[in-house]
Parts: sequence; C-alpha cells; structure tokens
Amino acid sequence: MVGLSVGEKHFIQGGIAQDLRSDGRKRLTYRPIYVETGVIPQAHGSARVRLGATDVIASVKAELGKPSALQPDKGKIAIYVDCSPTAAPMFEGRGGEELSTELSVALQRCLLGGKSGAGAGIDPTSLVVVEGKVCWDLYIDGLVISSDGNLLDALAAAIKAALSNTGIPKVDVAAETRSDEQPEVNISDEEFLQFDTSGIPVIVTLTKVGRHYIVDATSEEESQMSSAVSISVNRKGHICGLTKRGGVGLDPSIILDMISVAKHVSEQLINKLDSEIAAAEASEEES
Amino acid sequence: MRGLKLPLSQTQRVRLQRAFEKLQSLSAMANSDASVTVADTIPVNYEDAFLKGHGTTDLNGELVATVCGVVERVNKLVYVRSLRARYKPEVGDVVVGRVVEVAQKRWRLEINFSQDAVLMLSSMNMPDGIQRRRTALDELNMRSIFEENDIVCAEVRNFQHDGSLQLQARSRKYGKLEKGQLLIIDPYLVKKSKQHFHHLEQFGIGLILGRNGYIWIGEHVEARDSMVIDQAKSTEQSTVVEGINQAYTPLEMRQNICRIGNAIRVLTSLGFNVDLNLIMETVELSSSLKIDIHDMLGSEFHVLVAEMEAERRILTTKRKR
Repeated sequence: MVGLSVGEKHFIQGGIAQDLRSDGRKRLTYRPIYVETGVIPQAHGSARVRLGATDVIASVKAELGKPSALQPDKGKIAIYVDCSPTAAPMFEGRGGEELSTELSVALQRCLLGGKSGAGAGIDPTSLVVVEGKVCWDLYIDGLVISSDGNLLDALAAAIKAALSNTGIPKVDVAAETRSDEQPEVNISDEEFLQFDTSGIPVIVTLTKVGRHYIVDATSEEESQMSSAVSISVNRKGHICGLTKRGGVGLDPSIILDMISVAKHVSEQLINKLDSEIAAAEASEEES
Repeated sequence: MRGLKLPLSQTQRVRLQRAFEKLQSLSAMANSDASVTVADTIPVNYEDAFLKGHGTTDLNGELVATVCGVVERVNKLVYVRSLRARYKPEVGDVVVGRVVEVAQKRWRLEINFSQDAVLMLSSMNMPDGIQRRRTALDELNMRSIFEENDIVCAEVRNFQHDGSLQLQARSRKYGKLEKGQLLIIDPYLVKKSKQHFHHLEQFGIGLILGRNGYIWIGEHVEARDSMVIDQAKSTEQSTVVEGINQAYTPLEMRQNICRIGNAIRVLTSLGFNVDLNLIMETVELSSSLKIDIHDMLGSEFHVLVAEMEAERRILTTKRKR
C-alpha cells in the first residue's frame, strides 16, 4: 500500500465529511459493478467481478462425496479465498495468508450459517443425492487479482454470480441397493440443475472515517478508517452475518445505525447485482 | 480502446465503435509509413551513412524494427520510439513525485520510473529564501521541509552516470503539494508541452500535468510561502493539530476538483492524450449536459466524449487543409 501525505489524507477526510468523495461519489454510492460469468470453463460455475479497480474471480466445483454422520441429509460446502501476488507484492508466499483467512472466515460466517447448517444462505439439503450415502461437496474458491478496497463485498458478489452460473450435473441413482452398500451413481453429462440463488445474501461493508460512514471504500479511504463493519443482508432484509474490523471501539447505537443503513443500501445493491448477473449470463450465451 | 470494461448497451457499443473508426481513419491518413511493428523493414537510404538507434537491428543486411512504434529520424540517427513504454525522462521535464526516503543531504522520490529520483538538498530553495551554503543543521531539519510520503513537484536536472535521475526544485512554483488529489495515469498520455502548470482561474484550482503520469489537482497556492512559516512548526504535534483545525476545502472547489479528476479518468480509459484543452472541453461537456460528477464515469459519458473527440479532430483536419 502506497503511503499518503498529510495533505492528501486531509483532503480525503474532508471529502467524506462533505459527502463528495475523490471520484465524485456520495457516501452511500457504490462504484460501477462489472460482472462476467463463465470465465473458467472447467469449473461448474465461475464469475469475475470488477468493482472499480478491485478485481476478483470466484469458481464453484462440485464433487460427489459422503455426507457427515451428524448431518446425513445435508451436502457440504467449503469456501476458501486466496490473495494472488499480482494484487500486491506483499501477498507473495505466505504474506497474503492472514488476509485470506480473514476473508474466508467472514464469507463462511455470512453465507454458510451456523455449525449445524441452520440459517445458511445456500441450502445444503438441496445438495444431497442419496441420504446418508451420497451427496455433493461444493468447493467455492475466490481469487483476488487486484485489490483497491472493499474485497469482501466484491467476493460475496462474485460468489453469488458464480453460483447463479453453476450447473450441477444430474445424477441417476441405481435403484434397489442394499442399505449398507454404496449405491451406483451415473453422472449425466447433458442435464444440469441450476441453483436457486435468490436466497443468497450480499455483503455491505460500512467503513467509518471520522464521524461518517462510507460504503465501498477504495484502498486510500480504507487507510483512513477507524473501524469497518461488514453486514450480510439477504433479499428479505434479514441480517445473515456481521463482522467488525478495526481496533477502535464503537458505541452500540452506531452499530444499530450502521445496520439500518446497510439494509437500505443492500436493496439497491441486490437489484443492481441481479440485473448485472442476468446481463452477463445473457452475453455469455450469445458468445 | 484496450478493452473498455464498461457495461455498454447495444446502441452505445455501436456509437462507440463508430467514433473509434472515425478516429482511426483520421490517424491512418496522417502517418501510415512512419509506424512499424516488430520485424518490419525500416525504409532507409542505405547509401547514406546512418546510425542505428534504439529499437532497430541489422537483419540480413536490412534495418528491421524490434519494437512496435514510430520511426524517428534525427540527423543521421534512425530509431524506433515505442508508443506505450515506461516513462522516459528528458532534461527539463516537470515531474510530480512522492518522497520515499529522507537520506543524507537528499530526498529520494518515487516517480513512476525504473529507479527512484534524487532531489539534493542543495537543489532546493531554503525556507528563508537566502542563498547560502547548507549547514549540518539544515541537514538535520530536512524533515521540516519534506517528509516521507509527501507529494513534491520538481524538474529533471540531469542524469547521473548510473542512469538515475537528479531533480531540482529551485523555482517558486516547485515544492510540496497539499490540499488536493493525485491521479496516476499512463505516462505516454502526457505529451511535452510549453506549460505543465495550469492555473484555472474560474475554479481557483491548480492543475499540474507531470510528464511521468502523475497528475495533481488541487487548490491553487500562490508563491510557495508555506515554506517560510515552517520554521515555527518544529514538532510533529503541531502539524497534526493544525491539520485538524484547518478548514476543509470548500464544497464548490471540491466539486470542480472531482469533475476535473473524473474528466481525466474518462480520457485515460479511452486512451486519449491528456492536455488542458481536452480536459476543459470534457468538463464543459459534462456541465453543459448537467451530468452528475459520479455519472461521468458511466458508459454514456464515455461514449459522448469519444464522439466529441472524433468530431473535434475531423474539424481540425478540415481546417488544416
């Protein structure tokens, strides 16, 4: 991260205080989102999302596996994020590990719900093939190619787009197997099941600079932050997850205010994202 | 032109395509024989003695280009100047840089070049304005002039024997830049012109087009008096307090700064040269159409700017004939 001079920092803080940021945005305006789907043909689903100069790719791969003994009627989902050294030189080798784990954990919390699988954005019961024996294991991988702030929002949007693009192959199960045997499965190459992504939440990160909060901070603005709260909201307006970063303490009333602001912003974001995903899928089909 | 990443509707895509085609047809007429790609033969009279410069090589007795670019001839020297290379400094260039290190009797600045440039303490005007020998005390107080991460405007003085740059900031107009924003663009978009410092009176804004691709837009500050008062502020504490108590840039001026900044961003994403006339025309286009500052970065405005530039160039070529 390049340093900023005192004059520049002052200018950024002034802009946020006056509701006019460096590129003319208001405090609660997102940068233009650009979505491309199907960027990785070998994966079952993939998407690339550009939010200003922030560029992330998400891919979804599905494999057949055995469900866990504790939850025989649910499939398994794993989310993992990797920060590529092309984003910043410090991500080379193990430098990006801290940030990657932080992002992975935050995404898991927001999208996968609790340990028992309750309250997940993605319904794991739709992934089971034969209860107790065969289920789909979903591996969702995120890659950060270029970082200009607001990685969490971009990754959540990319995962949503990748899941809308995902086609799980249809599986034919051989009937009449004994209960203690592994059933034979026939994976179809032709038919695919699409995921229902209307229930998947988006993440809105609110960054507090001075006395105001902004949405979709660039990396310059993030360097000035005192704290940041990432709130995951779904289409119904319910909060699916909450993460706070930054060492400065926040008054509880501020957190409640941030939650209501995030709810308000998320409505527009969900609509915009859905239309962008639909446009991306349409142009992918054309080409 | 390199893969604009914008959500364009079908009509916008068609309009943009048409504008680019017009621009390409204009430039193709101008100098089709001067541009070469790798392995093209360079038309040269082999009878005359000539010097093979950068970007050329002798292949089977013919002079062949090794880079894509434009053939330049200076007296007997024939070389190929590539279009999109790293910043290539020339003596007398105005550059904007960021201080990365305060070293013995010099500051090291990062200027988007392959090496850091050096600004010697002796190449700076002293705060009290007197021309004198720099003492050890001056060396200890270098941080009161420029610190790490400060933005500085200077001029290229010469090249050192190892290829690194030496800068100077002897005039009043050079020095520390505050109260504004820095934009980083590709260096090849800023062409050498007579004036790199622009004072936009109607906005009260100073615009510095650094030839290294760093562009500074900020409040216009007259004759660098800020250095004279710095003797009083000897500690870091007082600067921080002063910064908080200082008023923020007024909203009107900030809007103009953001508008100019976005105009430059649009021009760079379309690949047009950034010079004052084009920037001012883009700003006027946006204010006449009452486009919101943030919407200047949207697809519609990009298409409008491309069309405006195509029209303008057609007019200038017609006038030349």
